[in-house]
Amino acid sequence: MSQEKDPHVRIQELKKDKVKFVLENVDLALANSIRRVMMADIPTIAIDMVEIESNTTVLPDEFIAHRLGQIPLVSTNCDEAIRYTRDCTCMDGCKYCTVILNLNVACNEEGKTMMITSNHLEVALWGEEVDQSMITAGDELSKRPDNFGQPVGKDEIGVEPILITKIRKGMELKVRCVAKKGIAKEHAKWSPCSAVGFEYDPHNRLRHTTYWFESDERAEWPLSDNAQLEEPVKEDEPFDYNAKPTRFYMDVETDGSLGPQEVVLKGLQELQTKLANLVLGLKQEPEAEMATGADQSLPQTNGHPTAGWGAPAAGAGGWGQTSPNGTGAGAGWGSPVAAGAWGGSPGTSNWSAPPAAPTGWGTSPAPAGSGWSPRPPGSAGWGGSSPQQAGWNV
Amino acid sequence: MNAPNRYELYVLEEGERPVEIIEDTKIPNAATIKVVKQDHTLGNLLRAQLLAMPQVLFAGYKVPHPLQPHFLIKVQTDGTITPTALLEQACTKIIGTIASLEATFKKEFQMSNIGAAVAEDAYGTGATTSGFPGDRDYLDF
Repeated sequence: MSQEKDPHVRIQELKKDKVKFVLENVDLALANSIRRVMMADIPTIAIDMVEIESNTTVLPDEFIAHRLGQIPLVSTNCDEAIRYTRDCTCMDGCKYCTVILNLNVACNEEGKTMMITSNHLEVALWGEEVDQSMITAGDELSKRPDNFGQPVGKDEIGVEPILITKIRKGMELKVRCVAKKGIAKEHAKWSPCSAVGFEYDPHNRLRHTTYWFESDERAEWPLSDNAQLEEPVKEDEPFDYNAKPTRFYMDVETDGSLGPQEVVLKGLQELQTKLANLVLGLKQEPEAEMATGADQSLPQTNGHPTAGWGAPAAGAGGWGQTSPNGTGAGAGWGSPVAAGAWGGSPGTSNWSAPPAAPTGWGTSPAPAGSGWSPRPPGSAGWGGSSPQQAGWNV
Repeated sequence: MNAPNRYELYVLEEGERPVEIIEDTKIPNAATIKVVKQDHTLGNLLRAQLLAMPQVLFAGYKVPHPLQPHFLIKVQTDGTITPTALLEQACTKIIGTIASLEATFKKEFQMSNIGAAVAEDAYGTGATTSGFPGDRDYLDF
């Protein structure tokens, strides 16, 4: 990755529902991950369940439910302002994890077609009919803006509402919609982005693509606006096959449920969270292996100066094993990394705490020397996940 | 009816561990790391970062099946560091890059917001006022 230079961003255009920017000095993979995360991993709210009380319109119930689901709802600060229903303590829906929208429209006018639109959806206030005893109260509600959960652009001048269906005299639609929090990996209706433009190398200098053409490539493939920001490829220029893309032109267009600024920043945070969770998982991994066996047999001795992990006194076997038929000499990871990277400081090391040393598996020097010592699979010190295999409890 | 919950594609189950390390028995300093409930977003990013690190001899990732929500990342190092430690280092490095990117973004957004304070009112109310430069109104946005 282009670590030599700091990543650089230039915003070309910022509007209410879109942002165009140029990303420089980042890796293609990073730029693409940002794009992916903005499209699929940012939570918003959308109608997820529709209770139909009366539907005498020309459209069937499921048709209407589907259309309702795709209406963008204002989801500002969705991270903190609402819970996932699956995480909530309530039985089925409460004010902390759902937003209720009601729609009740009937046409009584002779000879006129009436349009049922997103403007008819009203956010309902929560009564006390829900059993409160199960629900853990939270401060979610205070983090919501006033228009949280309303259809985007509701009753705003100049914003065309979204048509749900058209009705004539004598027809009626009465529904209760339950909007929930979700992400676009589950259903695209939760995506805050309507489109994300992503372009690099507008002149195809890197030849990541080949253009099909009838007779003249240049004439048949018009250049994008971004092409003006880069030097065109000269006729006699030699091809640099080592070149990597460094400039990315992105154009994030939102559906209004979140602002473009929130989408970009939340996207970056989401990506960091993913990575942080992975780091956490990697750190916990070896401990979990130990814990499976250790918590039954020698919980107290772990972290004890003499029985700590990889304490030099514990013999040549991998992880400071005290068990007689644990890994013998030659097992374990005899890498030349400093001896006793685990529990190197006797007394302070505690296996239940996240290991401070990033280089985890250094053990006391194994006879086999550097590299992974050969050993029969399944008999290893830490490799086996079951206590029996690891030889801990015997 | 018996369809699994869709959120199972990206939420760890109760007690499920996010990573599983499968050490390679035949290749020295190599390991395959299974990352559950994650996809190309992370897989490709990590692969690219690992390949940019000098200690790496091999790095590659795959999503074995599109319906199974996990990916495998295979790393072989030159022996100065274990694959797991290296992967951890890669993660920390990317987090750093993103953090600095985030800071630049915040700064840029702040600047743009000052310059385009009017555009914030792009829809509706402001349309009738003369808040827009020239002849532009909300239709231009």
